[in-house]
Amino acid sequence: MASAITSTHDHTRRGVVRWMLRNSLLVGFVLVFAALGIAAPGFLTWNNLVSVILNEFTLATIISLGMTLVISAGGIDLSVGSAADIASLAFIGLVGAHQPFWLAVIAGLSGALLVGALNASLIAGIRISPLLATLGTLFISTSVQQLASNGGQPIYLISGTLPEAFYFLGRGQLFGVPVQIYIVAILAIVFFVILHKTKFGRYVFALGAQSGVAWYSGIQVSSISALVYVLSAVVCGIAGILLSVTVKAYVPQSGNAYLLWTIGAVFIGTTLHAEGRPSVAGTLLGVLLLSIVRNGLLLIGWNFYWQQVATGLLIFAVLAFSGRRSREAS
Amino acid sequence: MIYFSLTAPLFLSYSNVLNVVQQSAVLGVLAFGMTTVFISGGAHVISGGIDLSAGSNLGLSAAIYASIIQAGGTDWIALPVTLLTGLIIGAINAWAIVGLKILPLLATLATMNVCAGFELVLTQNTVVPAASPLLTAVAATGSLAVPNIVYIFFCLAAFLLILIEATPFGLRLYAVGGFREAAIAAGIRVNHYVAASYLISGVCGSVAAILSLSLLNGSSPGAGEILLSVVLVALLGVIVSRRSVPTISGTLISSLFIGFLVNGFQLTNVSSYWVNGVQGGLILLVVAGSSFSRRAAY
Repeated sequence: MASAITSTHDHTRRGVVRWMLRNSLLVGFVLVFAALGIAAPGFLTWNNLVSVILNEFTLATIISLGMTLVISAGGIDLSVGSAADIASLAFIGLVGAHQPFWLAVIAGLSGALLVGALNASLIAGIRISPLLATLGTLFISTSVQQLASNGGQPIYLISGTLPEAFYFLGRGQLFGVPVQIYIVAILAIVFFVILHKTKFGRYVFALGAQSGVAWYSGIQVSSISALVYVLSAVVCGIAGILLSVTVKAYVPQSGNAYLLWTIGAVFIGTTLHAEGRPSVAGTLLGVLLLSIVRNGLLLIGWNFYWQQVATGLLIFAVLAFSGRRSREAS
Repeated sequence: MIYFSLTAPLFLSYSNVLNVVQQSAVLGVLAFGMTTVFISGGAHVISGGIDLSAGSNLGLSAAIYASIIQAGGTDWIALPVTLLTGLIIGAINAWAIVGLKILPLLATLATMNVCAGFELVLTQNTVVPAASPLLTAVAATGSLAVPNIVYIFFCLAAFLLILIEATPFGLRLYAVGGFREAAIAAGIRVNHYVAASYLISGVCGSVAAILSLSLLNGSSPGAGEILLSVVLVALLGVIVSRRSVPTISGTLISSLFIGFLVNGFQLTNVSSYWVNGVQGGLILLVVAGSSFSRRAAY
């Protein structure tokens, strides 16, 4: 009798532990949120949460959405920052030259499209490894930016002479919610539908799981993977334009800061899925977790140096727990 | 290369060649570590071996060495502590990848962040000057007018070349990366070999740190930015090698190639803005050429 009680007790306790391990991302999220709420009084205020979302979350999320698609297809895109920077360069260049606003937006997006098309032709056309191809693109775009910006001089726009739409995109609000949030929300929904609700999305996952099998099943492997890299570059272009309307400038190489951050976020998100697949929801949580940690530590008064250490340890902790889970399953 | 030797008379002079080799040493040593990790980890884009912490390992090791010298310590304290730092970083990577079964890409991404953070904490984002007898000796010119760094670089290359290309250890390392299941079936302790490759990469990081300290007379913030160049050199080394597998000799050649490329640009007075782009473009060209010759299926 006594042993039976202990064993059920053991069972439920193991069940709880298992549940916590399986949902290590959610548990970590709640813990971080609670800890920051207690430690930093200003953290849980509405204004602060909005500013976290606006300043840290929007751009990283948009770039991470593209990265989610690429990683789902079994690839990687190291040139996300380049696409954002090239878009920013073209956009700010044209706005600075007093061209129409819509033309500047189109130019920015085409700049990013160019980066994506280069990646796509290298990876899907010539079949170079994604790591090497996008790294090559990154180096080329570094040179292009240095040549165009006279060795890395930022281009600043003079306030007051800018079109109305510029301010609207940067700091505008609709029904009390910043415009940029709508853009992120729309993109997130679009990517959710693309990745999880369409045939294209299933092909993407098939490509990521077993590209050889996908090929033998008659899936147009090259066109799917080409489209993946183009889409990733285009959303990075959108992020680049949003970045430039926010800071009213083109700052060379500013997109690269997002590269490793977004890769981390996507993979933190994969711990949400039983088989470790990337998903849009997981990525959103991953970015949110990383950005509230940054913001929270800043409020506690830790400087930027310790934030990096903490970010690294956090990625470690979440992944370590999910790693334990997959071993337990096997 | 031929173009540079024709247009810049100095390009092929004895002292310039040595200069280039000296400049390539830091990048080359880091790329050796990366190559070892590539060998043991296999070539898969996402789950394959990669060490993203190489650059920030260099930065943290250099910062530790320079700080010890600044605090009045001698080389005999600083040298072992620095090498130990690299070893510990390698050990953490190895533990995370082998023990916790985290993807190498992510495990080393996390250590990269931690190392870069500690480096900033230690140096407060400033240059820490360091001058000590050992660093001076490393930077000095040895026999035959060859800088000592070049000797160290080539000695390390020779050591790793023999270790990886000519010993049972190396053979098994390739087996682990090439076909993991077969290696397990053959009774190789796969985990030990993977762990060893990350330890080697960690030590390479701290050796590179000492070389860069002696070249630059101190630690400098932003050393971690070398990472992408290291990945590039190691990947280019794969292309250079005859069988398209990562090899130490291939990486040695590719690091010297990049060194000569940068140097040639400087001597022909081409704006340095072009260097990155030409580097990237050339590599894509080489890769494209070699992948056309052997169309791998998906």
